Amino acid sequence: MYQTFIEPFTFPFMARALAELIMLGALAGTVGVLILLRRLAFMTDALTHTVFPGVVIGYLLTGEGGIFWGALAAGGLTAVLLTLLTRNRAVTEDTALAVLLTTFFAIGVVLVSRESGYTTDLTAFLFGRILTVTAQQLTQTLVVTLLVVAALVILRRPLTARAFDPQGAQAAGYRIGLLDLITNAIVALVVVASVRAVGTVLVIALLIVPAAAARAVSDRLTVIVPVAALLGALGGWAGLAISYDASLHHGLRLASGGTVVLVLVGLYLGALAAAAAGRRLRTVRRTA
Amino acid sequence: MGMTPALDLDEVGVAYGAAPALENIDGTVAPGEAVALIGPNGAGKSTLIKAILGLVPLASGRITVLGSAPAGARRHVAYVPQADTLDPEFPISVGQVVLMGRYRRIGWLRRPGAADRQAARQALEQVGLADRARHRFGTLSGGQRQRVLLARAIAAEPRLLLLDEPFNGVDAVSEQALLAAIAALKEGGAAVVVSTHDLALAHLACEEVCLLNRRQYGFGPTQTTLTPERLRATYGGHALELRGDRVIVAHS
Repeated sequence: MYQTFIEPFTFPFMARALAELIMLGALAGTVGVLILLRRLAFMTDALTHTVFPGVVIGYLLTGEGGIFWGALAAGGLTAVLLTLLTRNRAVTEDTALAVLLTTFFAIGVVLVSRESGYTTDLTAFLFGRILTVTAQQLTQTLVVTLLVVAALVILRRPLTARAFDPQGAQAAGYRIGLLDLITNAIVALVVVASVRAVGTVLVIALLIVPAAAARAVSDRLTVIVPVAALLGALGGWAGLAISYDASLHHGLRLASGGTVVLVLVGLYLGALAAAAAGRRLRTVRRTA
Repeated sequence: MGMTPALDLDEVGVAYGAAPALENIDGTVAPGEAVALIGPNGAGKSTLIKAILGLVPLASGRITVLGSAPAGARRHVAYVPQADTLDPEFPISVGQVVLMGRYRRIGWLRRPGAADRQAARQALEQVGLADRARHRFGTLSGGQRQRVLLARAIAAEPRLLLLDEPFNGVDAVSEQALLAAIAALKEGGAAVVVSTHDLALAHLACEEVCLLNRRQYGFGPTQTTLTPERLRATYGGHALELRGDRVIVAHS
């Protein structure tokens, strides 16, 4: 156990990767609950794709350091576009969303294909490079985490009221449009912060799976939020450790991002089984 | 009279784009009184409620709520949506839903105080669901969920209460509980606006009725306004039957 889950992280690059994944896992798990409550999984998926050209453009302009800012610009633009789109209740909202996401994604692919190291670059953008995380990236992730958590703490009541009953929240005087813009911006920020580490394709799992697992085991938000954060962090840690161990000791090259996602899905299935067992136990107790 | 009306509708008109949704709605509701908004689907009942909440702009006329513009009176106005429009899977307990009625008083960061918890508990007692506080909202029946939403409104201590079709698909027990809670609110001096299809309930709960279908077909005391002639005019071609003192509107 020690050899698999603790020892690898005595290397500085592994320690940085671990710190990044634990932070992102906890952050994405928490924000995932908001996505779950608002049923925004599809919109989040769209966001992960629209951020892609920003990542590429940022990289082409200023290299590795430009990725965050490029993604941020694209994410911000998408958050605004999505808020306007959903606000005006266009007849075919999901169609518009789908067109938006493929268009942005195609722009990214075309831009990458003009580069010489096409496949390596594309792979890095799509699946991330967790093992080359720098101290500067860690700081960026920490700042994003603090900002998002502060926003969620301050706005927890308006956000809950809006998610539960939009008409009632509006009648109570909450500004729905503004709350939705903030929600989209929060999701965009988390996607942007995660994109370099886990890539545009896998970030959706980080946002959706821990929250879904936590929802399976509890009906109470005060339990769901910390459990989702914990599962996200746990998935990041275990996935990273397992992929490292497999590569080093068993000659199995496992991509760290993919392993993290598979561990998270494993945790989700475990949560579903635990919830089913709990229900059966309660039924047995009631009939006994 | 001489008292400030809880709600004053002055030649109110609402339009969505170029199409008028409501025209010339005119009448007042005094504190402690209830008015039933009656009309077929698409008549503009929900639109009128939204206008009273200050959520849709007026094309003409004026709405005064408790002496001020609708947006300025929100603190004293509570709105009860239809329970079946809400997500039954939402992870929230009955007690938390009722406590939402206190959110505007609690503010953003403060924890709910003893007064807030007591108001929520009393409101839940008033609708006869005090023993359900810890249950998840979605596990209750449709009628019980409607009562919880009314309890949330009661917890906000409103002076004007707006209900959107609260009796739709509600069982007899819940209907009685809703009527009793509404009567208690009126006794406390609150004015009530309730949109409904159920003319018998309008007779039971409301002193006044507003008959509308895009425009107003009558606004006044229930006994004299809810006449077969006026109803026929309001509902147009839809069939209408009278059985004893019960009026039944059959939708085609």
